[in-house]
Amino acid sequence: MDRRNFLIKTIGIGAAATLGNTNESVATPINVLSEDRMGVLVDTTVCVGCRNCEWACRNSHNIPTPPLEDYKNRSVFKEFRRPKEYSYTVVNEFSNPQNPLLPIDVKFQCMHCDKPACVSACIVGSIDKLPNGSVVWNSEKCIGCRYCMVACPFQIPAFEYLTPIEPSIRKCDFCIERTKEGKLPACVEICPVEALIYGKRSEIIKIARDKIKRNPQRYIKHIYGEYEVSGTSWIYISSREFDKIGFPKLSNKHAPGVSEAIQHGIFAYFVPPVLFYSMLGTLMWINKRKKELDVEEESNES
Amino acid sequence: MKNKIFITIVILFCSVTIIIGQKDTSQFQNQNNKADNHPSITNIENRSSFFFQKKTGVSHSKQPINCKTCHSCEYPTKNDPCLKYCPREGMMTVHHSPDESPEIIIMDEMSTRFGAVVFSHKLHAQMSEMSDGCQGCHHFNTTGPILACKKCHEQTRQREDISKTDLKGAYHRQCMNCHRQWSHTTDCNSCHLPKNDDFKRKISEEVSRISGKNHPPIILPTKLVFETGYSKGPIVTFYHDDHIKLFDLTCNSCHQHDNCIKCHDLNNKLTHNIVESQKIHKVNKSFDDHHKPCVACHKQDHCSDCHSTKELEPWSHEKSTRFALKHYHEKVACNKCHIRKSQFEKLSIECYSCHKDWKLGSFKHSVTGLILDDNHNSIECNECHNNMNFSSKPTCENCHDDKSFPKHLPGKLRKNNIMNNSKSKITKK
Repeated sequence: MDRRNFLIKTIGIGAAATLGNTNESVATPINVLSEDRMGVLVDTTVCVGCRNCEWACRNSHNIPTPPLEDYKNRSVFKEFRRPKEYSYTVVNEFSNPQNPLLPIDVKFQCMHCDKPACVSACIVGSIDKLPNGSVVWNSEKCIGCRYCMVACPFQIPAFEYLTPIEPSIRKCDFCIERTKEGKLPACVEICPVEALIYGKRSEIIKIARDKIKRNPQRYIKHIYGEYEVSGTSWIYISSREFDKIGFPKLSNKHAPGVSEAIQHGIFAYFVPPVLFYSMLGTLMWINKRKKELDVEEESNES
Repeated sequence: MKNKIFITIVILFCSVTIIIGQKDTSQFQNQNNKADNHPSITNIENRSSFFFQKKTGVSHSKQPINCKTCHSCEYPTKNDPCLKYCPREGMMTVHHSPDESPEIIIMDEMSTRFGAVVFSHKLHAQMSEMSDGCQGCHHFNTTGPILACKKCHEQTRQREDISKTDLKGAYHRQCMNCHRQWSHTTDCNSCHLPKNDDFKRKISEEVSRISGKNHPPIILPTKLVFETGYSKGPIVTFYHDDHIKLFDLTCNSCHQHDNCIKCHDLNNKLTHNIVESQKIHKVNKSFDDHHKPCVACHKQDHCSDCHSTKELEPWSHEKSTRFALKHYHEKVACNKCHIRKSQFEKLSIECYSCHKDWKLGSFKHSVTGLILDDNHNSIECNECHNNMNFSSKPTCENCHDDKSFPKHLPGKLRKNNIMNNSKSKITKK
């Protein structure tokens, strides 16, 4: 009986562990969501589409940069652009039904999710979520599988196809080198209209709510990134629905939740495999025991 | 006994507070006088033109707002005004005319990559008269003088309070919101002077170019024809000229939130034609916003009163009311007859319905064109004009058996006879 109790208990604990994992997944390998993590509030009603941020971003990441004069060219807005391996941020322009002369310009870059899909998709752990909120890529571990590109709900990570030897995944790193020195991210610093506000995520959410409350006619009642995919470091406010200005419609559940739960559930601390094999063993043992008992009974009868 | 003690305590307390209060206000006034001689307090972000805004001064306490909106303590003084942090409850200052404002403002506090901006403040203030006025830019201004941007907006981007835009952002937001609409560019050099060794000369050149300039007077249209999306009556004819003259309107009685683009557009030379420019820059407004300027007065009118399938004739008093406004009536203001405000209710055509005081001696009959002789000049009006009805033919039968109007006249006609008109009118009737 003791043995049976022990088995029941272990099975129970194992099941609870796996079920627990599916309900409340860990998303980031190390959970580093600090209360003071930083974020940026993007006010798309203020952005004028000067593209100075694109220039500053390239410049501060030591990517060969065309002169700022070239960024005046507004014809690039004719087509929707995505961040590339050589430009971590892009500004896209969308029509404004309220006033055609004031188109809506939207800066776009890595959203630095609180529970990033790329981090959990990476099989070698080369992308990390840091306590200051940034999601950064580490070249030493990367094997170039590009799972992160597939996993990202915003299709942000870009791959250096044209670099045959040691290509890297490139994306916005929240100017980690600059913020370490106490500087602002390059794009935030250069923005002439301060459409980008850099601050603690909790504080910028308050500011965003306050802005919407003050100007209910100017903004729609939605802060993109506050709850989307369990929250992002970059949050947006707008005068037009977000699916009309280039943002994907996403649920509030972080993307890796389901897949990671399964992945972690199957292999978590090797408990499930051990349990599975021990269950098989127990079945075999029970069967064997039954047979032995049968043989004993038969011998007793005879 | 207890009551008496209580009352004396109350009286003592009141007198003490009054004395303290007076002390505080006198202190405030003294310092305010001192402040007048101190340029830094009224110094507007301007180095070249030392123009001082008209101050509301001491009387700012008499403005129709609650003191507690701005001050947190009971007795604010100049030294300790205990101002609440930037009370953002809209503009509170009285309106200032553009001519009171500084003419030119040179902004070069933060010029790092680009040179200074020479801002023609007065010209912009003149233009803003039809679009939001002073508060279009000077939002959340408290009582007293109009504040410069940098009074509230900090110069550094890395700062404590990030809820309020920094100075660079504040400047650019104000300018670019309009400028990118009519210039279709966000080019820095359209406002910033180039940053080089020559910049001091450039600034003085720019200052001399702008100084003394005024916005040219706006050419007023007489008639505007709008094509609307209303299927039953797409065409709205608006007689701009008539509205101004008839109702004695100023520009900003209607034009309060106009967009700069209504007149200014670099891509489009047609914009001096207001109708054409509105066809091009059709801004999608809500139903209410579209009708707001008209409905403010035309409250009870039906759609079809303005919307038609064709251009409408100008409104005429004669056609609509069958009462022509001629001679003396032409110059009379509408509300002299239509006394009830905002409702131009129908009046009787009878003269006496308005001219109730017409009686013997008070009316100069010669204005009708007929100079009464002495006999007739001294009899009551209704002897001839039965029941004081002046619009129909007077009768002679009351006194004379053998006479009739207009065959026989009770006097003589003036040279340029007005009677002829009224005669024909009378015979028609």
